[in-house]
Amino acid sequence: MSFLVPLFLVGGLAIALPVIFHLVRRTTRERKPFSSLMFLTPSPPRLTRRSRLDHLLLLALRCLVLCLVAFAFARPFLKKPVDAQPVGDAPRRIAILVDTSASMRRANLWADARARVEAFLARTSPADQAALFTFDRQLRPLLTFEQWNAAPAGERVALVAGKLAETAPGWSSTHLGNALIGAAESLAEPSGQPAGGPRQVLLVSDLQEGSRLDQLQGYEWPKGIQLLVETLKPRNRDNASLQLVVDADESDPKAAASIHVRVSNSPESAREQFRVGWAAADGRSFSGPASEAYVPAGQSRVVLLPLPATPGLTNAAPSRILLQGDAEDFDNSVFVVPPEPVRLNLVYFGKDSGEDPRQPRFFLQRAFQETRRQSVQVVSPSPSPTPAELNNAGLLVVADSLPDNQARLLRDSIAAGQTALFMAKDPATGPTFAHLLGIDRVELEEARVANYAMFGEIDFSHPLFSGFADPRYSDFTRIHFWKYRKLDPGSIPSARVLAKFDNGDPALLEIPVGRGRVFALTSGWQPGDSQLALSTKFVPLLYALLEQTGRNFVPPTQYHVDDVITLAPAGGPVTVSTPDGAQSILAQTNFTQTGAPGIYRLASASGTRQLAVNLDAAESKTTPLPPDELERLGAPVSLPASAAVETARQVRLQSAELESRQKLWRWILAITLGVLLIETWLSGRASRRQAAPQAQAQ
Amino acid sequence: MPLDSSPGSASLIHPQTLMSIANLEMRARVVVEGFWNGIHRSPYHGFSVEFTEYRQYTPGDDPRYLDWRVFARSDRYFIKKFEDETNLRCHLVTDLSRSMTFGSLGFTKAQYAATLAATLAYFLYLQGDAVGLLTFDQSLRDYLPARHRTGHLRHLMLALEKPAGGLATDVAAPLQRLLEIVRKRGVLVLLSDFLAPLEAVEPKLIALAACGHEIVLFQILDPAELKFEFTGSTMFEDSETGRTLFIDPVTARADYLRKLEAHSAGLRSVCQRLGIAFHRLATDRPLELALFDFLRERMQRRGDAKRFGRRPGSGAFRK
Repeated sequence: MSFLVPLFLVGGLAIALPVIFHLVRRTTRERKPFSSLMFLTPSPPRLTRRSRLDHLLLLALRCLVLCLVAFAFARPFLKKPVDAQPVGDAPRRIAILVDTSASMRRANLWADARARVEAFLARTSPADQAALFTFDRQLRPLLTFEQWNAAPAGERVALVAGKLAETAPGWSSTHLGNALIGAAESLAEPSGQPAGGPRQVLLVSDLQEGSRLDQLQGYEWPKGIQLLVETLKPRNRDNASLQLVVDADESDPKAAASIHVRVSNSPESAREQFRVGWAAADGRSFSGPASEAYVPAGQSRVVLLPLPATPGLTNAAPSRILLQGDAEDFDNSVFVVPPEPVRLNLVYFGKDSGEDPRQPRFFLQRAFQETRRQSVQVVSPSPSPTPAELNNAGLLVVADSLPDNQARLLRDSIAAGQTALFMAKDPATGPTFAHLLGIDRVELEEARVANYAMFGEIDFSHPLFSGFADPRYSDFTRIHFWKYRKLDPGSIPSARVLAKFDNGDPALLEIPVGRGRVFALTSGWQPGDSQLALSTKFVPLLYALLEQTGRNFVPPTQYHVDDVITLAPAGGPVTVSTPDGAQSILAQTNFTQTGAPGIYRLASASGTRQLAVNLDAAESKTTPLPPDELERLGAPVSLPASAAVETARQVRLQSAELESRQKLWRWILAITLGVLLIETWLSGRASRRQAAPQAQAQ
Repeated sequence: MPLDSSPGSASLIHPQTLMSIANLEMRARVVVEGFWNGIHRSPYHGFSVEFTEYRQYTPGDDPRYLDWRVFARSDRYFIKKFEDETNLRCHLVTDLSRSMTFGSLGFTKAQYAATLAATLAYFLYLQGDAVGLLTFDQSLRDYLPARHRTGHLRHLMLALEKPAGGLATDVAAPLQRLLEIVRKRGVLVLLSDFLAPLEAVEPKLIALAACGHEIVLFQILDPAELKFEFTGSTMFEDSETGRTLFIDPVTARADYLRKLEAHSAGLRSVCQRLGIAFHRLATDRPLELALFDFLRERMQRRGDAKRFGRRPGSGAFRK
């Protein structure tokens, strides 16, 4: 016999109550008033008599009632042999996901992770299949199901352990969402064997807050795949990190050069006092005075560090900022390459000098402001421009008729990849335009504008105008054009009209020429022709044009580990030096070997460039994820330790079912009622007996 | 004993029957008239009248009462005591404390005492004696000076009809108060159960006797108190203090009776020593007998007075 709710059996202790009542009954009953007790001495209560239980049968019955009620409430049932548990016997397919992100470099985590995996594998049955993956930014299979199956059953665990011992945590960020999806899909993949048993993903990770789970949001977790999570607990809960703050390009190039770094402290941290400064060559101590930073737990502070005195990019210049005072040092340094200003020349072909506010050059010169990162200058061409001069220019602006030889020179440069902006100042520039495009002739004639013209149709899909695509900026109707030159776009092959006037005449065209292209504006921006130069659209439009040339490209101040770096075609092999001193020659334009943080040097024929590769800031958020975060995103998490709990639950369910089928409590309650009836009859008889002699006595 | 004093006598009214009469005055009248009928031809009457006496004048006496004829005759000042003053002056001192509320016969000891006091008062009133009343519990409750006036008896009855209460019987304190109030010599009838330590009562009785009072003491006890025939162990609760004791009457009875008798004997010996008449009355004793006891006592005392020159107690109290 078993009990569904054995706790109720404790209620059987209530049988003490009737015993006590039977004992205390006489002492509490009846007080006899008497005139004076002065002649009376308290007679010691005769214990034998007082503690004797009267009505033993009645007492026994009452105790029995209480016991029966407690018994019934405990819901007894007769146990029957339970069928053998099918759960756990079917072979499982398990994808083991081990986190190798930078946050796993913390003190004990990696060793813990290996131990957990081995402990888990020790619990698997020989029929189970497992695959081992590591993940940080990418999912890397270390051992596939096929390899597992191919290995002898006794050596599989050792195989996995060996594979794990070969790897170590890298420097990458944690893209947990991707990894989970990859693992789930590897389980979902149809394999040769029928997947009869349960499919599980075992995630061994520190589950830090900086793990990226966005991909899981749009992903429907496949049914039947269980997610087991082994959360690794770091020995050290405090962690402070250092990040470079990407500041806006300052307009004042002469402002004191300094750099902002953010010091963040984790919420569980016990430390608050840190020091930040430029690292010496050994990478462990400060090269100069360090700044003190007081950062309470869970907060962050931005520290301003002056750039070293020698802004030049020499090998000796400090390029590493160090944070001291933190226990976990995997995220305590930041590599900095001071931005290199981009210098661009706009070669202006025109007769005006730039001093006359009625002429186009005046506005062009003022459109580009010099910043620390970028310096754009409008220059006049030399009397006999060389092809190199034209090729190195950022943009060629043609605002007037040119001699044929110059126009031909320009055309060659454009065909070689240069970009030119042609402004049809008057119909006489038609031949120059035709020369630039390399066609026979282009008809330009002065349009007759009744009042004014304006942009009627703009191709916002073109990169030039894509910045204006937002309805807030797409209103060009304020710009009035008094004069423009009419042009038949059909006469120019492969011309694309980017903007039309409201009467349908083309306003801005893009014409590819060779590897380069020509943008042609059929009106002028100076006030004599239009309001374009005076409008708010002028400067953004010019910058968009400059971006089309691809020459004002400002490289990002920093890259993250495992970022793919796109290099400008340098026309030659690029030699890459990694922080650990290895050198390799890069053939393609994408550099992918950014596996560790540090300064990468790219040497090519055109010069040397330095890149700073840093740890992803998210990796420093080492606070553990809320436990239900994965559940919230739809992954059915169950802790591996809950297997026993699950079995217990099954047993409980079966017991409940057995009990509800047998319903023994009903019988017990019926017996209780019977006993109660007997008890009532007996006590009634006893009280009648007691009452009779008293009545006689009176 | 010349009179049949057995409770079962047909001529006497059983107290339970008597107590069924609600009116106290009526009860007293029934008893007294029954008594008169019973002793109709008895020679016991006129005993209460004291002869007039002369007393030498002392400064402070009212000069109105000077007997000038004696003065003329003997050239001495004598105070003439008036007749009414020389009559019997009786104070009925009745205990109405909580312990007197005990009763096993359907009425309480207090009711019995009040009826007895009323009977005596009525009897004396009929004789023309001055009757005063003093009721007490732990302190003095009511005091009516001894008077013989129309309506005085009524006041007396009213005071006696007040229910018994109080918390304790302190016989000593009211007796002390009595000493202070009743300055004139007379008869003091004490009606109480005297269930108080003897040591506290005795000095007061000595003092009262020393004042020249003639004292009659009725100790009124319930038959249940006298016999203590309870059965079954019970919590006994002291009706005055509320103290409870768990008592098995069977075992406690012998000890109780011994102590009660010792107390009564002590009280009796004190009374004997002081010349106080002591009567122990069980409440099932007919009141006529109590009245008879009282009168017989008086008669004996008169004889004693004749024999011993009316001086109660020892020679120490002689003038």
